[in-house]
Amino acid sequence: MSLGGKLALVTGSGRGIGRAIALKLASQGADIIVNFFRHRDSAEQTAKDIEALGVKAEVIRANVGDPAKIDEMFDMIGNKFGRLDIFINNAASGVGRPVMDIDVKAWEWTMDINARALLLCAQRVVKLMEGRGGKIVSISSLGSRFVLPNYTIVGVSKAALEALTRYLAIELAPLDICVNAVAASAVETEALKFYFKEGLVKDNRQVTPAGRMVIPEDVANIVAFLCSEEAFMIRGQTIVVDGGTSVGLFALAGK
Amino acid sequence: MTVEEQIRDIIAKITRVDKSIITRESTFKEIKADSLDIVQALVAVEETFGIEIPDEEAQKFQNFGDFVSYVENRVVQEEKV
Ligand SMILES: NC(=O)c1ccc[n+]([C@@H]2O[C@H](COP(=O)([O-])OP(=O)(O)OC[C@H]3O[C@@H](n4cnc5c(N)ncnc54)[C@H](OP(=O)(O)O)[C@@H]3O)[C@@H](O)[C@H]2O)c1
Repeated sequence: MSLGGKLALVTGSGRGIGRAIALKLASQGADIIVNFFRHRDSAEQTAKDIEALGVKAEVIRANVGDPAKIDEMFDMIGNKFGRLDIFINNAASGVGRPVMDIDVKAWEWTMDINARALLLCAQRVVKLMEGRGGKIVSISSLGSRFVLPNYTIVGVSKAALEALTRYLAIELAPLDICVNAVAASAVETEALKFYFKEGLVKDNRQVTPAGRMVIPEDVANIVAFLCSEEAFMIRGQTIVVDGGTSVGLFALAGK
Repeated sequence: MTVEEQIRDIIAKITRVDKSIITRESTFKEIKADSLDIVQALVAVEETFGIEIPDEEAQKFQNFGDFVSYVENRVVQEEKV
């Protein structure tokens, strides 16, 4: 699996899962555009770590919840590179609230960053992939189909993201652009470790048949596979990476 | 308009509170700004003044006055460059 000579944009790749994806694609030879929003230092560190792997890295700040910033980002990529082979829609944000506490502002913020960004970015990405084909992979979560505490808006935004993935996959298939998503259960990132400490998220090892938490690299491995030619016939799918948690629910409940 | 007045307008618009209750000593809680409001205010202020405010810095703001002072200093620095 080699991505030598390919150019990939990974949104929100300064830290967490996005960073792991960026490093994985870089380790396979792809040059990487690291997008970030609020943490420039992390993004620059990721870019350094990518360059240490012998490929090129570029850092671009853009709030993917803002259509004008998306345009600026793609204008810049268009002018500087004139092409794109891989687009990873990873950036996400959200407000953890019960259904009854969700207001218009929280809804729009979350939907704009998590779901609308895929639409607006894909429309620009296609132009950069025209005539060469490409891969689009979004990062989703189990919250799109299962109810997690206070996860409402993010879960709904992920459901939209997965549905849009199917529509894009079909419409872009004639252009040789493969569109898929990867949905993870709770992933052990720095952010999640903080939530553990604060008692906001429970350690879910007991409900993971595979016996450990999902780590960012587990997600990155599947993303890299979906970006390879071996995955050419996988279209519009959401691949679940959860160590068996979702299919094992009933077995675990009976324990 | 001064930096302070501009930031006060931005925050009042986001949190929909009366401008007159926002003083330099007001905490974000008193202004009824939740974490999402704060991020939106940061983004709006960044765009208004053409600066970038790292989250690491923003987390240090205890009240409206800290926010304003930080931006005032940054705007002065930018003018010097
Ligand atoms: N962690 C989990 O348990 C888990 C589980 C399932 C799925 N996921 C999904 O995996 C993806 C990455 O999650 P994570 O846990 O690694 O994220 P995270 O630690 O919460 O970090 C979020 C990332 O998204 C970026 N971001 C946020 N808002 C943005 C915006 N408006 N524009 C551009 N970038 C923005 C952030 O950039 P800055 O730091 O620069 O602001 C950061 O790089 C998300 O789609 C998430 O929903 C996570």
